[in-house]
Amino acid sequence: MLLAPSDSEAEVIVPEPSTEEFRPKMNATAVDVYYGDTHAVKKVDLPILEGDVTALIGPSGCGKSTLLRCFNRMNDAIAACRVEGEITLEGRSIFDAEIDVVELRARVGMVFQKPNPFPKSVYDNVAYGPRIHGIARKGPEMDAIVASSLERAGLWQEVKDRLQESGTALSGGQQQRLCIARAIAVDPEVILMDEPCSALDPIATAKIEELICELRGRFAIAIVTHNMQQAARVSQRTAFFHLGELVEYGRTEDIFTNPVQERTRDYITGRYG
Amino acid sequence: MQARLTGRNAAELRFRLYGLFAIGAAIATLGVLLFSIVGKGYTAFVQTEILLDVRFDAAAIGDLEDLEGEGRRAALQRADYGALLRESLREQFPDVEGRTAIRSLTALVSTGARAMLREKIADDPALLDRSVPLWLTADDEVDMLMKGQIARDVPESERRLSDVQLAWVDALEAEGRIRTVFNRTFLTAGDSREPELAGVWGALVGSFLTLAVALGVSFPIGVLTAVYLEEFAPKNRWTDLVEVNINNLAAVPSIVYGLLGLAVFLNILQLPRSAPLVGGLTLALMTLPTIIIAARSAILGVPPSIREAARGVGASPLQVVAHHVLPLALPGILTGTIIGMARALGETAPLLMVGMVAFIVDVPGSLTDAATVLPVQIFLWADSPERGFVEKVSGAILVLMTFLLLMNAGAIVMRQKFEKRW
Amino acid sequence: MITFALSMLLLATGASFVLGRRRVLAMVERPVDLQSLPGYYGWYTALWCLVPGFVVVLGWMGSAPWLLEGATLNASGIDLASRSEAEISLFMNNVKNLASGSIPSLPDDPALLAAAERYIELRGRGAAIASGFVALFAAAGFSYAFRRLRPNLAARNDVERVLRLTLMACSTLAVVITFGIVFSLLAETLQFFNRVSPIEFLFGTHWSPQTALRVDQVGSSGSFGAVPIFTGTLLITAIAMLVAVPIGLLSAIYMGFYASRRVRAVAKPLLEVLAGVPTVVYGFFAALAVGPVLRDVGSAIGLSVASESALAAGLIMGVMIIPFVSSLSDDAIAAVPDAMRNGSLGLGATESETIRSVILPAALPGIVNAFLLAASRAIGETMIVVMAAGLAANLTANPLEAVTTVTVQIVTLLTGDQEFDSAKTLSAFALGLVLFFVTLCLNLIALAVVRRFREEYE
Repeated sequence: MLLAPSDSEAEVIVPEPSTEEFRPKMNATAVDVYYGDTHAVKKVDLPILEGDVTALIGPSGCGKSTLLRCFNRMNDAIAACRVEGEITLEGRSIFDAEIDVVELRARVGMVFQKPNPFPKSVYDNVAYGPRIHGIARKGPEMDAIVASSLERAGLWQEVKDRLQESGTALSGGQQQRLCIARAIAVDPEVILMDEPCSALDPIATAKIEELICELRGRFAIAIVTHNMQQAARVSQRTAFFHLGELVEYGRTEDIFTNPVQERTRDYITGRYG
Repeated sequence: MQARLTGRNAAELRFRLYGLFAIGAAIATLGVLLFSIVGKGYTAFVQTEILLDVRFDAAAIGDLEDLEGEGRRAALQRADYGALLRESLREQFPDVEGRTAIRSLTALVSTGARAMLREKIADDPALLDRSVPLWLTADDEVDMLMKGQIARDVPESERRLSDVQLAWVDALEAEGRIRTVFNRTFLTAGDSREPELAGVWGALVGSFLTLAVALGVSFPIGVLTAVYLEEFAPKNRWTDLVEVNINNLAAVPSIVYGLLGLAVFLNILQLPRSAPLVGGLTLALMTLPTIIIAARSAILGVPPSIREAARGVGASPLQVVAHHVLPLALPGILTGTIIGMARALGETAPLLMVGMVAFIVDVPGSLTDAATVLPVQIFLWADSPERGFVEKVSGAILVLMTFLLLMNAGAIVMRQKFEKRW
Repeated sequence: MITFALSMLLLATGASFVLGRRRVLAMVERPVDLQSLPGYYGWYTALWCLVPGFVVVLGWMGSAPWLLEGATLNASGIDLASRSEAEISLFMNNVKNLASGSIPSLPDDPALLAAAERYIELRGRGAAIASGFVALFAAAGFSYAFRRLRPNLAARNDVERVLRLTLMACSTLAVVITFGIVFSLLAETLQFFNRVSPIEFLFGTHWSPQTALRVDQVGSSGSFGAVPIFTGTLLITAIAMLVAVPIGLLSAIYMGFYASRRVRAVAKPLLEVLAGVPTVVYGFFAALAVGPVLRDVGSAIGLSVASESALAAGLIMGVMIIPFVSSLSDDAIAAVPDAMRNGSLGLGATESETIRSVILPAALPGIVNAFLLAASRAIGETMIVVMAAGLAANLTANPLEAVTTVTVQIVTLLTGDQEFDSAKTLSAFALGLVLFFVTLCLNLIALAVVRRFREEYE
């Protein structure tokens, strides 16, 4: 049983999962994040389950993106950022001195808010990760990885004849799927997605959502989104954040149909956001 | 009210005119400067020659038939080419008598003509005892006369050419024995005491070697420093100090770098004086801040999303820099480097301090040979009393400015071609 | 010899890379099983070979000249105590020249010839010993690293740590250069102050640094009152600023507010060309064209103008810094928010009234910064004054007379053949220190001003 710390208003109640489906791939325990003097994330406990999509929702500035970036230590590069608490991957702390952050990021991939392909060819974009991790070198082995990653990202049909074109020449939606292909090319265990559709048009968004649903089961996925319908459509678990606190966590259908907390209900019904 | 408005509008117009005048003045000065240098300098690229029938008298040169290799070279070296010249000039002007008269007659031809004769006979021994018409380089005074730099109407005592000499030159010209041709010597020879034999090639090679050293040292160090400061350095007092230092070094007078080079490279490290190695190291210290500042702004221009993307797939910080940031920042870095190098190419003062100011005839062959550079050559020639050097100075300035223009144009092309691709 | 040792070391480094990479690849079935990419193991071995060897090379290069000199002098049998420092250094110079064969015609001093031979022999032996040490250290480093190679060795982390240290070392060089400047200038200046009192140097009004070669000659002491040099520098700088400040500032204003697109497209690159002209060209122009013209004009209106007048040098120096002032002022003006300008124009002020009463006051710190940097540039400028200003140190404020400057004196004192330790050459370093200190102050004030300014608008 996981318990979030109590705040003055209400207890956070985490419903007890049935044992056979509750398999935390990653687990955050009592995580605090400080940005200089700002306390951005406050004592948050959050599991990311194997084979499921976990949605992190909440109003802007509630700390959900900040927390997401803790899962593969992307905040390391920000000098003013300080993380306390514990995050584990398969039971092992990701802050362990033995764990190389580079290796961690190979296992926990990330897709960003704005599509950010490298200004290199489509092929090199996908091949970059496998190359630096020594998964494959040049030749047919690498070709196969690139093809299968693009296939899984649903992009292969569109780009198979223009692999040598620059990744930045693709459309916005294609760029974002290229970034997803790039992330899955190193065969990660977890994929973190930070508002992956916020810069895309509705059609491209639909494609990405479809893709997320297909990828589910193969990877543990955590997605930060502003769009509640999106969270309802793609996720199995939902965590609602407000002002840096985890207000409520549970099955997506429970959160959307029968939230326990008043703040969750207000947000979902559009009272604020 | 109306009157006030008229007054205000007049003031507006006046202000505008001041501005226009200021720009006009700056550009006019540039125009006068370029005009006067081109006007004085273009004649450096042509040279007067005199046609003489030279007889390669076997008595003066000696027998070359039975000599081989070293002995032959020595014989050629020994031969009295001055006598050959004198003979052919006397043939041209049979009525000239007396030592002084003959000396002033031979003075019409450059002292370099002897070397020309030597090469001629060395190349083709069959010329021995034959008379051949040869175009020989004229003395710089004759050259100046033909280029209209010597006024004929001033009293003889204030002229470098006497009345007799003028008459000889006129006679030669009347016979079609004087011509002006493209001055190859100016672009292919080293320095010389004689203006007509002096060239910029030695200085150009010296400049090239010096810049090569400067680039080889300052480019890697500058780029690595910029990478450290932009990508890795923690924000603390030390980094602040480094930054203030770099900004300050960019504004330190160049001659101070010369003093540093003199004290450190020559006196402490005992590196050879006047060498491109030392000059280059000194210029490297001077250009380092320029390159660091340019590289930093180029690195800063690479969008952070690229870095995040690379980190997100597990690239280490150094891989992020080497695989993504540096390739994208390279055009900007190179633009800044070219501009820095152009400045180093035009720099004179610090090189005077490390002894690159010597009179050097030979073209430098290595980094430790004594050498001079183009701007210093200009300075040296500008100091020479001979009239003939004035046009050489301007000519050398034209060569230098051409290189600077090419480098800056290269920088502009680079900037436009590779401007932001993301 | 150094080049040979270095190239051998580089070859060995290349070989270590290949060997290290190969060895670790042979330890595993698939490259993926390695902790790092195979190339990193190559770098790991290569660095362990290169760094120790290179340290030895550096140490050798730093110490060899001194060791060699000492050993040669000791072996030469000349009585060191009875000779002055200058004599010994002359002797050593001759030995070195003989050894390098650059001056074949030296006096046939048997001691000199013997010393030169000894020098060559010692140099060869030293180089051989040092090369041996380079090889030894490189080999030791290599074998240590080679034996440590394992598939789970974190080679990337080690290599990257070394690279990071290299980056950091490079960035400290800027500080090292500054300290190098200060210490080298200071050391010589202190020696100078041993001979000439600082009071005389800073406040004396008579400058004539000619020291006689022998003590018994007349005027052997020379005098080192630098005030006329400082006033000369200030005079020329003032003239330059009088030219550059109004023209530069007005150009920037005209370009920023009035010039049409086409005028700007032509004028801006032309100003940049003005900035790119080498100073030696300006100097030539000032000496050859401007100086004589000023003199002729002067004599036509009955003024006596020296042919190397402060005015000629100052005018041309002013032209040289025009683009500097205008581009920095341009930046400062462009940094003023448009809202300010629109506010004033909206009230019905004319453009020039807006510029004078709103934009310029707002941009003032930036413009002051431009002036300070321009002044620092003018003070440190060398070639124009060397070629167009005089050598005689006159204490005068008349721009038509010839004056001399700090930089001119440094150049004249240090070029040509001079013995190194005389008060004359040392005084150049004292002047250099003053120059460095003054420009440093100007630069630091300018930096502080511009920092303030930036904070205001960010």
